[in-house]
Amino acid sequence: MLIDAHVHPAFIEELNLGEEKYRRNAQEMGLYKTEAFGLRQWDADMAESGIDKLFLLPLALPESRGGALVTNCQIADLVRLRPGKFVGFASVDPHSAAAAEELEYAFAQLGLKGLKLHPSKQHFSPSDELLTPLYEICLRYDKPIIFHAGVSMEPGTLTKHSHPLEFEEVAFRYPKLRMCLAHFGWPWVREVCMLMLKYPNVYTDTAMLYFDDPRQFYHQCLEVDIGPGWIDRSLRHQIMFGSDDPRLEQRRMIKALRNMDMRESTRELIFGGNALEFIGEAL
Amino acid sequence: MVKHVALEYMTKAYNQLLPISADVRREVRLSGVDNGVAYVITQHTTTGIMINEKLECLEDDILRQLGLLFPEDGEYYHARFLREYGAMAGNPTGHLKSMLSGNHCVLPILDGEIVCGRAQEIYLAEFDGPQERTISLVILGE
Repeated sequence: MLIDAHVHPAFIEELNLGEEKYRRNAQEMGLYKTEAFGLRQWDADMAESGIDKLFLLPLALPESRGGALVTNCQIADLVRLRPGKFVGFASVDPHSAAAAEELEYAFAQLGLKGLKLHPSKQHFSPSDELLTPLYEICLRYDKPIIFHAGVSMEPGTLTKHSHPLEFEEVAFRYPKLRMCLAHFGWPWVREVCMLMLKYPNVYTDTAMLYFDDPRQFYHQCLEVDIGPGWIDRSLRHQIMFGSDDPRLEQRRMIKALRNMDMRESTRELIFGGNALEFIGEAL
Repeated sequence: MVKHVALEYMTKAYNQLLPISADVRREVRLSGVDNGVAYVITQHTTTGIMINEKLECLEDDILRQLGLLFPEDGEYYHARFLREYGAMAGNPTGHLKSMLSGNHCVLPILDGEIVCGRAQEIYLAEFDGPQERTISLVILGE
């Protein structure tokens, strides 16, 4: 089982967003030269890299900033196009008065499996009371949250909102709320390790590559910046494979992780088992 | 007469030699050009156009030896964040293999058919797939 728990569907042709919207999505995501592509591209990527499932992450922005990159309904449409392969997440704008209602609808009616939030892009602090209703809905439906964490290369983002320590109060207040601090919170990988050690409900993903190639960068971040045995001995149940596609390429990241020194059982957890547990599904 | 045709492909693998002679031959026949030349040109920087013998052993040798020339775990400058793309440069081997294979081939057209040696196959060489690829076919003649 190989699951990519961090994929952005903002450029999929089957959504029929129109040329202007695709260009706008490229600008908002800071993927300035990325163009629309069909699901056949993901089909080929998944076949070539042996990937079984993708977590599709939308992002809600207020209408004053152009609205959602991809809506929750569009995510549900994509899931219907590849049943069993796509796991759809919801996103809501925490500043919107309709956020709680939209999230309930996404879980109850659209069948989406979790919530994606981006504090830096959506301009909020994770511990703000504004978020309380959303966290309570996630708890009630037993749905996890994927938070963007660490640096964001998207325009209009302040990194301070996504510093890993910003999330501790949420993990502390809601010990049953499964939450992923995505991108290993880079560059604060040690802080993310601290949070995962202290809070079993905190997860992370491997969607990080900001320097060098995947082999070199994973070695630096996961074997030098943190102890080489920390993941294999202590954090093996809380790390998911994620790529950040289309910003980063899955194939080389998978190969780099396959070549890292860890128990095969740990690798299997990272490549799939943990992601299933995160969304509340058993292997 | 000059005729332009775009040939579209979805490659299936990271590195792949995809035979395209049949498509080129078909388009030349349809063009109405009896005597001239056909240019087969890739629009990409991590693909190439090659002519070689269509044998699985040679296809394997070509890809394997190119892989040894430009190993995936080699030290490349093209492994950094590109601000203008907002993404990582992650395909140096594809660019270097493309440089070796070249971006085009040229074939004569005689009596409405491309002139190919008995062993010659035209390949779209993929070095950073799977991806959608577009090949320009330019047919010149009368």
